[in-house]
Amino acid sequence: MQPPGGPQKFALPNIQYLVAVASGKGGVGKSTVAANLALALLAQGKRVGLMDADIYGPSIPTMLGIGDVDPQTTPFPIERHGLLVMSMGFLLGPEKAAVLRGPMVQRYLQSFLTQIDWGRLDYLLVDMPPGTGDAQLALAQTAPVAGTVIVTTPQDVSLNVARRGVQMFRQTQVPILGVVENMSYFIGDDGKRYDIFRSGGGRRLAEESGVPFLGEVPIDPRVAECGDLGDPVARRYPDSPAARAYLALAENVDRQLRQAEQPKDLPEVQL
Amino acid sequence: MPPSEPLAPIALRKDGPDRLVIDWDDGHHSVYTFRRLRAACPCAGCREERERPPDPLRVLKPGELGPPAPVSMPRVGRYAYKIAWNDGHDTGIYTLEYLRSLCECPECERRKDNYRDRYGSD
Repeated sequence: MQPPGGPQKFALPNIQYLVAVASGKGGVGKSTVAANLALALLAQGKRVGLMDADIYGPSIPTMLGIGDVDPQTTPFPIERHGLLVMSMGFLLGPEKAAVLRGPMVQRYLQSFLTQIDWGRLDYLLVDMPPGTGDAQLALAQTAPVAGTVIVTTPQDVSLNVARRGVQMFRQTQVPILGVVENMSYFIGDDGKRYDIFRSGGGRRLAEESGVPFLGEVPIDPRVAECGDLGDPVARRYPDSPAARAYLALAENVDRQLRQAEQPKDLPEVQL
Repeated sequence: MPPSEPLAPIALRKDGPDRLVIDWDDGHHSVYTFRRLRAACPCAGCREERERPPDPLRVLKPGELGPPAPVSMPRVGRYAYKIAWNDGHDTGIYTLEYLRSLCECPECERRKDNYRDRYGSD
């Protein structure tokens, strides 16, 4: 039996900020943003873990160049590029599919968070699966999520779905740190900026939802190349515009979380 | 840091002669009648009175009293409001969580009814 306020949340006393990286729609580069944001936070001197909650399509192992893992002999989390990493991909191997019902998804996520020795972390980023399904709901209702970063791309179709993501986290009372617009623009060889998928949609979504706009990440063909090489752009090309955008994003995320900790005075009652 | 940012009110105002409305930062719009707020006063004295059988020697029945209305509603730290009522009672401290749980909007009333139907009480 649960009270009307919803299920009890478990505590993660060694993790200062549990941050979900979410999107409404798939294919917006959410895992790329999660991996690069984790590395950008690491570059700023934070202790960072990255948990791949995309139970059905884990991509973090590939992005970080973590090959086959024997779950029987490997202690989790795995350290890679200075990050502590856990993924469903480690348990399944690259070829197998996770065929799980909702309650099992919740159990896996909870086990990843509470039964793995993450040590003391400043940040544990959770790369969420796309959509507003079991995994999102389970995390929002049972984990002490400090905030969510919503990833979108500038097109209307992506924005409309991201709007649903904003709504879901609102309903489950998880603070939204803000919106980041991925694949926002392209810097040509001529140094000019090209808005390939138009631009400004992420900012618009943030404004109409009343949440901060955290930044825009440009399209860079090297981002995909780096993902395939297992060495994300924020680490491999730290001076690239995309890497600089991730550093700025990391600063904004950190600022939002610290601001959220500042207690605010209550408003006066107009009688 | 708390597990999740607690709910906070954005604005609180009187709505007509007998109601209070609160806009919350999660977008929820709460409505309260003063009568229900007064009856739910969380101070120790009122709690005790609610648990006791009705006093047979009481001169005025609750329905014969004038309509309750707050005279003032000062903030208490960053977690609650104290309501001073027009009947002179002013010891009730209404925390934000408690205020939210008292919301009488149709959505919250429906949720509370469903909960009562299923489990018997709040």
